Amino acid sequence: MTQAQFRFTGIGKAFGERRVLKAANIDLSAGCCVLLSGRNGSGKSTLLRIMAGMEKPDRGEVDFGGGPLPWRRCSHYLQQHILYLHQQPYMFDGNVRYNLGYALRRGRDKKTLIAAALHWGGLEAMANAPARSLSGGERQRLALARAWLRRPAAMLLDEPTANMDIEARITTLALLRSLKEEGYALLISSHDQHHFDDLFDVRLHLGDGRIGPARPSAQRITVVRS
Amino acid sequence: MQPLTETIANATRLLLDGNPELWGIIAISFRVSLTAMLVATPFAILTAFALAHFEFPGRKLLVTLFSSLLSVPAVVVGLTFYLLLSRQGPLGDWKLLFTQTAMVIGQIALCFPILVAMSHSAFQALDRRAWETARTLGAGPTRALFTLMREIRFGLFAALFAAFGRIIAEVGSSMMLGGNILHYTRNIPTAIALETSRGEFAQGIALGIVLLTLTFSVTALLQHLQQRRMSGQ
Amino acid sequence: MRRLPALLLAALAFLSWRAIADDAIVRLATTTSTDNSGLLRDLLPRFEKATGYKVHVIAVGTGKALRMGEAGDVDVVLVHARAAEERFVASGAGEQRHAVMYNDFVLVGPNDDPARVRQAGAIGEALRRIASVRAPFVSRGDDSGTHKKELALWRAAGIAPTGDWYREVGQGMGKALQIAGELDAYILTDRGTWLAYHGKLPLALVFEGDAGLRNPYGIIPVNPRRFPDSNHAGAMALVDWLTSPTGQQAIDRFRVDGLRLFTPNAKTATSQDAAAD
Repeated sequence: MTQAQFRFTGIGKAFGERRVLKAANIDLSAGCCVLLSGRNGSGKSTLLRIMAGMEKPDRGEVDFGGGPLPWRRCSHYLQQHILYLHQQPYMFDGNVRYNLGYALRRGRDKKTLIAAALHWGGLEAMANAPARSLSGGERQRLALARAWLRRPAAMLLDEPTANMDIEARITTLALLRSLKEEGYALLISSHDQHHFDDLFDVRLHLGDGRIGPARPSAQRITVVRS
Repeated sequence: MQPLTETIANATRLLLDGNPELWGIIAISFRVSLTAMLVATPFAILTAFALAHFEFPGRKLLVTLFSSLLSVPAVVVGLTFYLLLSRQGPLGDWKLLFTQTAMVIGQIALCFPILVAMSHSAFQALDRRAWETARTLGAGPTRALFTLMREIRFGLFAALFAAFGRIIAEVGSSMMLGGNILHYTRNIPTAIALETSRGEFAQGIALGIVLLTLTFSVTALLQHLQQRRMSGQ
Repeated sequence: MRRLPALLLAALAFLSWRAIADDAIVRLATTTSTDNSGLLRDLLPRFEKATGYKVHVIAVGTGKALRMGEAGDVDVVLVHARAAEERFVASGAGEQRHAVMYNDFVLVGPNDDPARVRQAGAIGEALRRIASVRAPFVSRGDDSGTHKKELALWRAAGIAPTGDWYREVGQGMGKALQIAGELDAYILTDRGTWLAYHGKLPLALVFEGDAGLRNPYGIIPVNPRRFPDSNHAGAMALVDWLTSPTGQQAIDRFRVDGLRLFTPNAKTATSQDAAAD
């Protein structure tokens, strides 16, 4: 059992009268893949966006090693270290190279790093193609390669294989596996549970604003390294 | 009374001969209007971004206000600043009436609402994921804003050209605030008004040709860029 | 982003370079007639060369020129409307009136002269002929010196001009002449503008020479006690130069199409103006 890298506790969020999240608890650990299930509209995306520091929860704490902190003191840290991937990734108006380079700070190694990312994502053939001309599967590969270049501590993926044909799905899953092997903490939200059978370590379920194991019982699940 | 063709021929000759008075007027027009654009644009784009990106009380009211300011006649803007800048007005001590600075101020007031309204709708039309993707890929707020501006650059160019088109061609505020002083505040539109009233139609047409050529080439350029972008996809 | 502050600074620098020589600039509000006739373009470069001042000419109607003076927005006014000029000085806004020159008004109209104004013996009779046949008449209607003069002439003729034959256009002299040309109308104009335009218009001179048509110009600096900020030294330099033998000679020699437009009268101001009013 290892110490979780990020431990979220008691996340609550309401949109008007509707309380999407009541008291959600979830942990992320290096090299560990969490699969989060839940019906459409159960609040999966909201939870992921909160965890990535993109949205403010109504309440909740996060602990990344120094004891629990209230939200306003850690949202910047979350933004810096946790990367969120949209279900349909946004491509900047430019070629593949430009989109990859966006994840990099200015530096001398930019060319080498982009070349490595092109190779990693199998995108060499389309390096100079406009990113918006790519197919859905290619876009997902580009988004993953872009995230890979950014080197965050954790990646949160919103329905990464939705609306994909089988070939694109296999490539995407291969890339996800390689991310996990490189030691990233992964959180995948999906309702196509069986796609990720060979990938996840822990399976959680979001329902009624709370997180439980896929077999619903306890409130908190400690994520165990496999 | 000269026929139209002869007037146009004379006008072309004036332009091609490099008539210094004519080109001086053109230079003043550009100096004043470009300065106004230079000052107004950064603030206008920031305002437009804030209106599109943040939710705050009075936001909708401000959006409505800027769109309705679009249709205020230049003369009214001119009159307002005339009363403010006149020696007896509240800002009279600045001694700005009948200077290029006064013209610049009037033109800023004229182009600002256009810049805000058009940039705002461009920002509004942009996918929310653009901002989120930029931020999650490590861009700070400033870099993310510049990324958004790059994403909507054609909308912003259109806003810039529309705003520039309005102020380079407006006569009301320049006439009132600049006073149409030769070699100093006489710009293309006030000169056209004057030359027309003096019956010097060739000069007026020559300046009109300059304005037309300018707006035509700018519009053509913009369309060309946009088409290249469409076919590039 | 890093370039923005620099650009803004450059813009400000751009704007301020003009403001440096502020007290070398004299702001002159004057009537469209002096500007349109080309007189000022002939005179002012000589003045600027002789004194080093730079004159900014704002050409508007007399009424507006005087209001700019009353607001202290200009340093000196050169206008032609005696009564208004005297009020301007009496109110304390203007310092003192200096006579400069005069020209005269003429009545122009369609070549075939439907009101037979050419046969009139005096200006009052000429106007009465126009009114009696309701021939189209264009009035400046812009509170200018010419407009004021026209109204005074109608009053003296005992006529209150109203009706669809009497058209107030609210424009400068040149524009009003063009409108009169398009409408085959009569119009009262200063001789200067008329000479500048007559070749371009289908109108003819139909009445001139009445003593009541004389049009004296005065130059008045704004009162430095009320407007300490004004460039009084510059205004006085312009007054002194225009009323000096050099300036008066330049006015005398100014020609449009070989014809003299303005008669200098600085030295003999009292007698000439008395005759004119």
